[in-house]
Parts: sequence; C-alpha cells; structure tokens
Amino acid sequence: MVDASQYQLEPDYKNKFKASRAKEIIGNVLKARLTGAVYHADNTSSWAREISDDIKHHLKEEGWPRYKYCVQVFVGEQRGEGVRLACRGFWDPQTDSYAHDIFQNESLFCVACAFGVYLY
Amino acid sequence: MDDADVAPFDGLTEDDLMDDAEVDTMVREAISVSVGENPFIHSKIDAWSNNVVEGCLKRLAALNKPFKYVVTCNLTQKAGAGLHAASCTRWNDKTDGKLTVQWENNTMIILVTVYWLAI
Repeated sequence: MVDASQYQLEPDYKNKFKASRAKEIIGNVLKARLTGAVYHADNTSSWAREISDDIKHHLKEEGWPRYKYCVQVFVGEQRGEGVRLACRGFWDPQTDSYAHDIFQNESLFCVACAFGVYLY
Repeated sequence: MDDADVAPFDGLTEDDLMDDAEVDTMVREAISVSVGENPFIHSKIDAWSNNVVEGCLKRLAALNKPFKYVVTCNLTQKAGAGLHAASCTRWNDKTDGKLTVQWENNTMIILVTVYWLAI
C-alpha cells in the first residue's frame, strides 16, 4: 500500500528548469551560429529552424525530467524597424519558467525564447 | 476503456483536447480588439502587445481546460525588412499543440503564437 501523502507533485530543486542555465545555452547557440552572419532572405529561414532545433537539443541534454519544451526563434533583418516581442504564460510559477537571449550584429538580430513546462 | 486507450492522452479524454479553429478565432478577436487599424506608434506598442497577450490568455483560461498556455506576440513595423520565425517543441504530440496567427494592417505585422500543454 502506497501512502498518497508521499506522492511527489513537484520536481526537486536539482530537477527543475533553471532559467539562468537555459539562457546560457541559448546564448551559446546564438553566438556559435550567428557570429559574423549576414542576413539573406533565402537562408535565414533555415537558420531559424536549425537554431531552434539546436536549443531544444541542448535543453534535452540537461536532462530535466518530465519537462516539455517550446523553443521559439525570430531572426530579422536590421533595418531600423520597430519590433516588440511580448510573451506570457498561464502556468504554475513554482515549476514552469522561460529564458530568452538576444543576438545582434550589423545586418541581423535574433531573439530566442525557451519555455519549460512541467508535466505533473 | 482500458489503460492502453487512455495512455496516449496522458489521462485526458478526447473532449478535453483543444480545437485549432476555436483558438484561431480567439486570437484574431483579441488582436482586432486591442490593435485594430491603428498605425504603428512607438509609445503605444507596449500597451498593445500586453493587451493582445492578456486578451488571448483570458479567453484561453475561460475555456476551463486542463492545459497550461504560453502566448507570445511579435509586433513588427513594416519597413521592408525580412523576419523569420521558427519554433521547435518537445511534448506529447497527441495532447499538446501550437497555433500561429499572422495578422497585418497597413503599418505593422503581428505574429501571435499560442502553445497549449496538457497538465
């Protein structure tokens, strides 16, 4: 007989999604991928896909169990246009979190967000 | 129903799942209520993006479904510059989903993405 009061509803601290670590991962991927890159309409689309895939892959390697991830990447041309990005979650702040990082150079900018949502 | 039928939905029933078309309508409604045909004004962007995201979340939360939601909103001024968005997820494909709505008026492009993840 299992005592129901012993069920674990939340991850331990060491198994929690850590926003600071996620930000580091995102920053590293962006730097590795985009340093010296020049915007070009034809290949930027595939960069965005590759970057998001890379970030997801690295997050999975962190091994936070029972987490679902959403990674979103925007790559845009630097032309002085106004851009505003907002995000918000309807979730459990105890377990769920997000991280983002920004990369910019003369010809492009890139914003990447990663959301970690815990499955109870 | 035995366990094998329930397992793919993580304990949810088919009625609990989200309907893409319903979400699409909600997002478009939230955008047109808060932004409409207004031109791109720098000082108002903060409030607009907040209203769009909040409007979407309120409508989603009112569904009373066993999901957590993430909403992102991107407002870009039309200046002839290219923008590429990509997203990549790791989740239970059977229950969770994503919807992107692209909406534009004369001066800006709004890109709203909604993710719903089963609890």
